[in-house]
Amino acid sequence: MSDVAITFELNGRTTPLRIQPQLRLIDVLRDSLGLTGTKEGCSEGECGACTVLVDGRTVNSCLFPAIEADGCKVTTVEGLVGPGGCLSTVQEAFLEGGGVQCGFCTPGMIMTAAEFLEEHADPTEAEIREALTGNLCRCTGYVQIVDSIQRAAHRHRSDNRQQGAET
Amino acid sequence: MSQPMSAAAYHRPRSLREALSCMDQTPNARLIAGGTDLLVKQRKERPGVAAPLISLRSVSELRQIDIDGERLRIGSAVPLTDVAASPGLAERFPVLVDSIRVLGSRQIRNVATLGGNLCNASPAADTAPALLTLDATVELVGTDGTRELPLAEFLHGPGQTALMPGEILTAVILDPPPPGAGMAFLRKGRVKMDLAIVSLAVVLSMDGDVCVQARLAAGAVAPVPLRLDAAESILVGSQLDAATIQRAQAAAQAAIAPISDLRSSADYRRRLLGVYVKRGVSAAVHAAGGRS
Repeated sequence: MSDVAITFELNGRTTPLRIQPQLRLIDVLRDSLGLTGTKEGCSEGECGACTVLVDGRTVNSCLFPAIEADGCKVTTVEGLVGPGGCLSTVQEAFLEGGGVQCGFCTPGMIMTAAEFLEEHADPTEAEIREALTGNLCRCTGYVQIVDSIQRAAHRHRSDNRQQGAET
Repeated sequence: MSQPMSAAAYHRPRSLREALSCMDQTPNARLIAGGTDLLVKQRKERPGVAAPLISLRSVSELRQIDIDGERLRIGSAVPLTDVAASPGLAERFPVLVDSIRVLGSRQIRNVATLGGNLCNASPAADTAPALLTLDATVELVGTDGTRELPLAEFLHGPGQTALMPGEILTAVILDPPPPGAGMAFLRKGRVKMDLAIVSLAVVLSMDGDVCVQARLAAGAVAPVPLRLDAAESILVGSQLDAATIQRAQAAAQAAIAPISDLRSSADYRRRLLGVYVKRGVSAAVHAAGGRS
């Protein structure tokens, strides 16, 4: 079977490419495009290390056919970085909160946190833990991860207040 | 690392008609919706085997939730996140929404579908007990036409359904819930992401102190998710006193055929179902009272 042509918006950039029809999104991201921030852990949707956003929603890229990303917006952890290489609020919060141990789960955790914080401005610890159901940390550093997400939520809220005061 | 099977065809029909003709032309193809079960299975059981896939993700008719007279029609390929967030669903069918909220993780729910959960036909399918207590109907479409089946007749065994070759499960249809019904969904897994050890859905109506309708369905305790008819008959007409509940628990435990596996022993499944009957009835009564 011959390759198929797809085009998606990857981290804000239009990306056309030719792929094998049943290639997984994670293979395209890591092998074809060199974006190795997205990690492959269990390969069956349990660990969440491969979490990316497709049209703003978290998916396990190890279970997502790349062909289905055709016409979609795909965001990986590399895409969270702002102009000039400055880290996003969630990324900063993970650094400050000690949410990173070995680092393997971190990109997936951060992508899940990014989606979750869009829906929850002031989350409880229980809500955060519920949101992380599909993300495993093999270092078991959950306390600092939850703390980092709370820190990010707090930062978002105070940024929003500041913006509100300025306008 | 690219997989050898990744070279097999992947079809993306845009309409139901296109999907049916694609199935007709590709008889060895498998249908894929969210893919969260299928892709794992394909990788584990048939490594390197190239089966063509027909994706239902872009079939517009299967991506809609609409009201058809009194009935609610949920397209089989609507992601579970969208089913749970559908306006009014949590108020009218809380048992279904509760079963979706504990299914997998948000990453899974963002792509997984009701059609996939039912056609995969796992004995532990989380939405099946909830849909059974709602007397759900499934709509099946093939080139010969459309038929409807009660969900209980659709589920035949582990991985086995009433789906005929060339047919697609297009929608899950729900009649209005019994007026004033209280609902509850209970589920036990070793951890949240794991398959259920036992699940139980309850839909129950009270007239004063008397139970006038009871529907109970259990998952992961038999080859198929099943209604607990004998327990239901014991509850109806009673005041749900302790002796009646005990009889219903025993009837539920007698109706199942649990297995021992790495998740749980059969004995534990049976014991836990008894506990869940009591807790589920109590939670549903509470929910019914909260509404009246």
